[in-house]
Amino acid sequence: MIRWLANPLVGPAIATIVVALLVMSTTDRFLMPGNLNNLALQVSIVALVAIGSTAVIFIGGIDLSPGSAIALLTMLLACMLKFWGISFWPAIVLTLLSGAGIGVLNGFITAYLRIPAFITTLAGFSAYRGLAFMFNKGSPVFSASDRLEPLFYGSLFGIPLPLIYMVVFFAIAYWLMRYTRLGRSIYAVGGNANAAHLSGINVRRTQLYAFVIAGFMAAVGAVLMAARLNSGSPNYGAGLELQAIAAAVIGGASLVGGRGAVLATLFGALTITIVQNGLNLNAVPTSTQNVVIGVIIVLAVGIDMWRGEFGRLVGFRRVGGPAGHAATREGEKP
Amino acid sequence: MISTADKIAWELRGIRKTFGPVVANDNVSLVLRRGQIHGLVGENGSGKSTLIRALCGAHQPDAGTILHEGQPVRLDSPLAARALGIATVFQEFSLVPHITVAENIFLGRWPGRYLHVDWKDMREAASRVLATFEIDISPDAVVRDLPVAQQQLAEIAKAMAANAGVVILDEPTSALGPRETDHLHDLLRRMRDGGAAILYISHHLDEVVRLCDVVTVMRNGRVVSTADETPLDVSGIILLMIGKGVTEHYPKVHSEPGEVLLEVHDIATEAGVRGVSFSVRRGEVLGLWGMLGSGRSEIARALFGVDPLTAGEIRLHGRTLRIHGPSDAIAAGIALLAENRKTDGLFFNFTGTENITVANLGEFDRGLWLDVRREHEVSRQLIDRLQVTPEAEFELVDRLSGGTQQKILVARWLAAGAEIFILDEPTQGIDIGTKVAIYHLINEFTSAGKGVILISSDDKELLAMADRVAIVRRGRIVRIAKAGELVKSDLLESSEERMRAA
Repeated sequence: MIRWLANPLVGPAIATIVVALLVMSTTDRFLMPGNLNNLALQVSIVALVAIGSTAVIFIGGIDLSPGSAIALLTMLLACMLKFWGISFWPAIVLTLLSGAGIGVLNGFITAYLRIPAFITTLAGFSAYRGLAFMFNKGSPVFSASDRLEPLFYGSLFGIPLPLIYMVVFFAIAYWLMRYTRLGRSIYAVGGNANAAHLSGINVRRTQLYAFVIAGFMAAVGAVLMAARLNSGSPNYGAGLELQAIAAAVIGGASLVGGRGAVLATLFGALTITIVQNGLNLNAVPTSTQNVVIGVIIVLAVGIDMWRGEFGRLVGFRRVGGPAGHAATREGEKP
Repeated sequence: MISTADKIAWELRGIRKTFGPVVANDNVSLVLRRGQIHGLVGENGSGKSTLIRALCGAHQPDAGTILHEGQPVRLDSPLAARALGIATVFQEFSLVPHITVAENIFLGRWPGRYLHVDWKDMREAASRVLATFEIDISPDAVVRDLPVAQQQLAEIAKAMAANAGVVILDEPTSALGPRETDHLHDLLRRMRDGGAAILYISHHLDEVVRLCDVVTVMRNGRVVSTADETPLDVSGIILLMIGKGVTEHYPKVHSEPGEVLLEVHDIATEAGVRGVSFSVRRGEVLGLWGMLGSGRSEIARALFGVDPLTAGEIRLHGRTLRIHGPSDAIAAGIALLAENRKTDGLFFNFTGTENITVANLGEFDRGLWLDVRREHEVSRQLIDRLQVTPEAEFELVDRLSGGTQQKILVARWLAAGAEIFILDEPTQGIDIGTKVAIYHLINEFTSAGKGVILISSDDKELLAMADRVAIVRRGRIVRIAKAGELVKSDLLESSEERMRAA
């Protein structure tokens, strides 16, 4: 009857809309074109990095390293452009490949050396930022290249480029997760790694690929970050990993793995950014903003979990057959 | 026998429970008397689990009364039920794996005050509990290091240590071998003689008939035969459970075995398989019999590439296979229906279709995308062929019954085009109707010229459905004989020898 309620995008989309309405009710400036444009720029980096965090969460892991990886990669990119005489596009490509390389390292340690993802990427969280400080004696590299800023501030047919990147990468991520063998394997490994192994899926390689996606998307975020500020800095990206995880979780990705939808992560990122934007417009200090984000994370996950119980109360979904296993958590279809 | 009217410990009257449109329990009444073992049987989905969940406080019935010693009570939590002396042993273990048996037995009520725990006291008390029930497990053993059968016994000790007046056991023997089962039954009889009321739920009807004093039969959420009415014989109970006669419990079709399909020569693994050789012909069912820990499941794991071979070779169609993992075994045409559906088989985040095609994704891989339409075609055909409920195509598997889940796993291996089916306890924990459906499938495999390796702890099933039986002991095959030449005692003797040797 109201089966669409079960769609994994519905909850996060409603959260985004509710938050937007709330912000609109507090300030007229929210809907001004300048602000919407600003919002799109703001959300883009978090949303793109969160694609990778979501892939890792799907296999039942967690990635704490992208913020630090971004610091390292912006330094690498800025140094390549400013000091090492590498031309523009090769430097961009090398940065993206380095991001994928970081993913290979995280994935190899986790999948093949069997260090838990939390530990591996906690180590990366520390080490990658440390490496970033080894470039240029630890000082930021400013004015890296004239060609960098247009990558972020440019537009195509009047549409800001970051918006286009988001559409493209989320489309690819959606297709990858839903319609490819790799995507299906990622959900399988996250759902039941044992059964995946016994069904002939290469569990370790699948885990490795999820980290490679995460590393690559961190590099995409790094390029945009560097372009936005035309610089590289070992201080960039601090806290970004947590925002990206929050976006995935608000989007309904289960930290146990195997459940969630990558498009919902976009709504998660939007929700966070709109809240921050609204609080900025109302001149609320950052400290309060952080508290509000914390509350929203708990509420979003709670609402997602209670949704199933609410559904059972109004009786629109049959749950768990006649034996009625009360323990079945409402899951989303991949 | 003395009149038992005054010995009523618990009574359920007119219990009704619905889940959305599904009526799981409809006007169910049941009386538990002290000094009596009460069997509760019914097919999967007949409402047994729902009923005991009401009795152990896991959920509230929509209507009806629960009486304790004649007084109506409200069991609004498992704690409330426990406080009134109801102990429950569930199918799924509730032990904490990384702490000791003693700590588990007294979980939640460790002796001592505030932050202090009297470990010595607890250890001694646990030893006493284990000794009372003659369970031979050290209280200091860490649970996860114990074999599954011993974990089950520890689970039972934990439930009983609470000094319960009523013990509910839900499929307690599904992980136990015949000896452990007998042991448990002795234990239950002693508890009954000591005045406990016991509610025993099992799919093993011969066990129920042997053990229970009275039996209640449920079907479609209702009691179809009360404790006073039910005859204590297996075929009578089956008749009541499914509502019609099963003409053939084991519908074995003997097909003429063809050429040799699988040859296993002298294989060994680090998991304890030692010098095992056998062959399986087309159209043949080879039974593997052995006690828990005998190595029968390990042989299956070796064939399927889970444990690497340290010696020997495996040939299929006369070609030596190089198997480095399950994916190689699947590609060669070997299928393993694993013993534990939940941990080793099903993806609960997947629909029936996705569960069916997961071992054969290569067939649908068009390079850049999966052919989802073709995937659904294949799944629909198999769902049709195996008479699985049609909603399985789009429904997540945790919403499907145990029997349906098992059929979906069979469908997975049919989709993967397997030639050799290794079935490890395929009928464990599923109802008679689905069991018979699985037997028919085995027949279908053999008539299609495939080879089947059937591992089962059910001696009747094994002797009826296998053409030849290999007896496994301590990682070796000690005897291979035609099933018709073996009787139950041959099988049991092999385990006795093992017990003496161990």
